[in-house]
Amino acid sequence: MKNYNNDNTARRYLAHVSQIGTTQFHLRNPYIVAWWSMAFPGFGHLLLSKYLRGMALFLWEMVINLNAHINVGIVYSFLGEFDKAKEVLDTRWLMLYLPTYFFGIWDSYRTTIDMNKVTLLAKRENHRINSFVISPLEINYLDRRKPFTAMVWSFLMPGMGQLYLHRIVTASFILIWMIVITYFSHLAEGMNYIFMGELGQATVVFDKEWLLFLPSIYGFAMYDAYSNAVENNKLYIWDQRNYLKSAYQKYKLEIKRSRLTK
Amino acid sequence: MMQIFSLFEHSPSVELALSKLEQEGVTKEHILVVPVDETYENMKVFNSLHDADGVSFVDKALALATAFGVVGTSIGFKLEWGPIIWGLIAAFIGFLCGLVWNLCIIKFTKNGYRKEKRVLPLIIVIVECEREYVKGIESILRENKAIGYSTTG
Repeated sequence: MKNYNNDNTARRYLAHVSQIGTTQFHLRNPYIVAWWSMAFPGFGHLLLSKYLRGMALFLWEMVINLNAHINVGIVYSFLGEFDKAKEVLDTRWLMLYLPTYFFGIWDSYRTTIDMNKVTLLAKRENHRINSFVISPLEINYLDRRKPFTAMVWSFLMPGMGQLYLHRIVTASFILIWMIVITYFSHLAEGMNYIFMGELGQATVVFDKEWLLFLPSIYGFAMYDAYSNAVENNKLYIWDQRNYLKSAYQKYKLEIKRSRLTK
Repeated sequence: MMQIFSLFEHSPSVELALSKLEQEGVTKEHILVVPVDETYENMKVFNSLHDADGVSFVDKALALATAFGVVGTSIGFKLEWGPIIWGLIAAFIGFLCGLVWNLCIIKFTKNGYRKEKRVLPLIIVIVECEREYVKGIESILRENKAIGYSTTG
């Protein structure tokens, strides 16, 4: 059930509230989106709600990075052990990396600029959207959430902030990959050693290749949660403003003189 | 007739207040709601499309935290405290750098100054009623988180 049946008469809609999440157009900084594509191919597209593209690029990155051993190469390069870095990189896979990596950055940058223009047009058109969904499996509606709370949840476990914001697609995607990466990077065992104070043991037990995925995932999950909470709140205000204007402006106000001045 | 002017923030409370008023018999013909636009939003159109909007407080911070975090994690493999602790330290330093960067923008540029002065959009609710209902309506407004109200007439 919805509170508005879309008759597809608008040229552009600002948002779509569905069972699995709220998808919306909003202004974004193309450099920031490009940066997330740089940190991890696919993240820029996930920020833009282009989930299929984003996930395809993410899976591509996982396959190529792990086979070409790019993360290990990065670790050795930062450590200054360039010979080891050269040795570990697999040329058979490495050359596949560059074109798609840069495509991801360029495409998310370009898309952001285009989508910003669409955002302005949709805002000016100001067409009504459905803002309430109730179905047997889920309930979703526009609401105000706390950006900082969303960010903290994604810091504790990437994906939780997204669940708080009812972004089921990003949430499940990140949560599933966190299981895989936590397992193969031996994160949990290492944390155990760290809490016991055996820092040296922790360093030994960690897997370089997998551990290096984590900073990008944590950073992205926190940024995605924070920025989407802000934008969801703006959408809520936009929708409430339109409703109040349409429902409560029948009364023609006449400012009365005070009794005292009579 | 009396007029009660009140001020609300955007939240479900304002709709709770309005529906309660209607339940108590105040008709829509006696309620005027005026959502006040942010001045900031109109200005944004004149800004370049490259401008981040409102989220810029943490965007640079988290981007730098991630970049520093990768470097810290890598180098941490050789340092005594290991990759996690050094990764976190580096990420935290990156985050602080990003915040300082943003604070400098707010402090020293025109663009930031505008954002700093930004106020949350508010809603003006005006209810017209007979003198004997004023107390009841005021208590409905108060119970539903009105920022403030004033009665004239």
